[in-house]
Amino acid sequence: MADYLLALVQTAVLLALAPLLTGIIRKLKAWMQSRRGPPIFQPYLDLAKLMRKGSVVSQDASWLTSLTPYVCLASMVVAALLVPAFVTESFGFLGDLIVLVYLFAMARFFMALAALDAGSTFGGMGSSREMLVSSLIEPAILLSFFTVALLTGTTSLVSVTSLLATSGASLIGPALLLAFAAFFIAILAENARIPIDNPSTHLELTMIHEAMLLEYSGKDLALMEYSSMVKLTLFITIAWSAFLPWGVATQVTAPDLALGVIIFLVKLLALALVIAIIESSMAKLRLFRLPNLLTGAFILAFLAVMSYFVL
Amino acid sequence: MAEINLNLINGLAAMVLLAAFILVATGRLRTMVRVFAWQSLALGLLAAAVAYSTGYWHIYVVAALTIVLKALIIPRIIDQIMDRIQVANDVEPSVRTPSSLLIAGGMAILAYYVAEPLIQSGETITAGALALSLAVVLIGLFIMISRKKAITQVIGLLVMENGLFMAALSLSYGMPLIVELGVFFDIMVAVLIMGVFVFRINRTFETLDTSFLRRLKD
Repeated sequence: MADYLLALVQTAVLLALAPLLTGIIRKLKAWMQSRRGPPIFQPYLDLAKLMRKGSVVSQDASWLTSLTPYVCLASMVVAALLVPAFVTESFGFLGDLIVLVYLFAMARFFMALAALDAGSTFGGMGSSREMLVSSLIEPAILLSFFTVALLTGTTSLVSVTSLLATSGASLIGPALLLAFAAFFIAILAENARIPIDNPSTHLELTMIHEAMLLEYSGKDLALMEYSSMVKLTLFITIAWSAFLPWGVATQVTAPDLALGVIIFLVKLLALALVIAIIESSMAKLRLFRLPNLLTGAFILAFLAVMSYFVL
Repeated sequence: MAEINLNLINGLAAMVLLAAFILVATGRLRTMVRVFAWQSLALGLLAAAVAYSTGYWHIYVVAALTIVLKALIIPRIIDQIMDRIQVANDVEPSVRTPSSLLIAGGMAILAYYVAEPLIQSGETITAGALALSLAVVLIGLFIMISRKKAITQVIGLLVMENGLFMAALSLSYGMPLIVELGVFFDIMVAVLIMGVFVFRINRTFETLDTSFLRRLKD
């Protein structure tokens, strides 16, 4: 019983930290571009403001438009239940790594449908591009998950994390590092970050993710934005827990837990810093050059699986 | 200690293959030369690690030669040729990058399939690297076939040579020293001669696109 309580606390921490992480990335980017930037708690205030406002829905939109924000949020919350962050306890019996991939896919599917629903041209463009990106990056994610599944002999994320964390450094090899690299490109692609998409753009012709949210306002917009913040946090957490989980608490004792929490926060900040550096130093790729990068991610994951068999 | 060394050897072998894939993925000539230099450096370190774990001193000599010649001198020669003929920096592939990458991946599978029986019966500690080195040879060949400029064909040949060197290293801890020295001398002369050829091609056609060479028939 205490285990599940701990898992619930962990999920709550993940859900509560998500806007803060987005705020920190924005602040880091602002510093790198010599701006002062908004305070790191700004995303909470933005979400609170949006939640108080009513939403305007196009008269041509069907029930899909009002259902989608809840589907997106629900799939992110369920995914958050499955991911071990600082302790290897979670509701892992609900689903494994593959369920996780398809929870994200379901959110994306509904988002793309809702963008088409109101019949605006930008929405259609956004969802067509989103589907292009996701069809190219999903094989890479699955292959990099298969790498760790082969290494540990299980597809359950909690077991993967605890097996990797308790085994020594001997498992750190080309397979894990290549899979981590592939998954890192997947983080950028799945969360609409530069160089795949620009999260702060409002130039219609280049938007992918933002174009799908154009029709949303008020409370619905808040739910959609919050679920993409949670998604980013989840992807960063999965990158560490599935591929390089060293430092996570495998036993429920106070010192282990404290260490686990500290290391988890450091890991989050580390990847946030890397993302901020990439976003400040690179330009967005042209849409037709995206397949080069995304196929690159697929090949990295493929090499990871291959080096498991060969080496 | 032995386990860490084996991990190091495998990691370096994987880096050599990864460099071959980056060579296929990149669209810039200068990057290709840099990546080739890094690949040779990884190969030299791999040879040094093999020498350390087997204790054969002649592999140290070969490792040092690899690093000096292939990671420093040859990239510099290619850079100088490119400076002299003012070649544009893009690669001009005849197969597009995503398809190239997938073909290279298919070649890696083929190499693994071919090398697997040999790996099973291999006795050297590096036997696992054989599949990777065959893949590097095939990818080098593919770079030669699918990239139009003469410079990229030189780089493709050098990548194939790197793969052959790794294959020799993984099957029998390298060839006898005299053979290795001969191969290095060969490579050096080959790069110089090909440099002259590239220079002449550029003077005659005012481009490095080798598809123009078809006009040579009468």
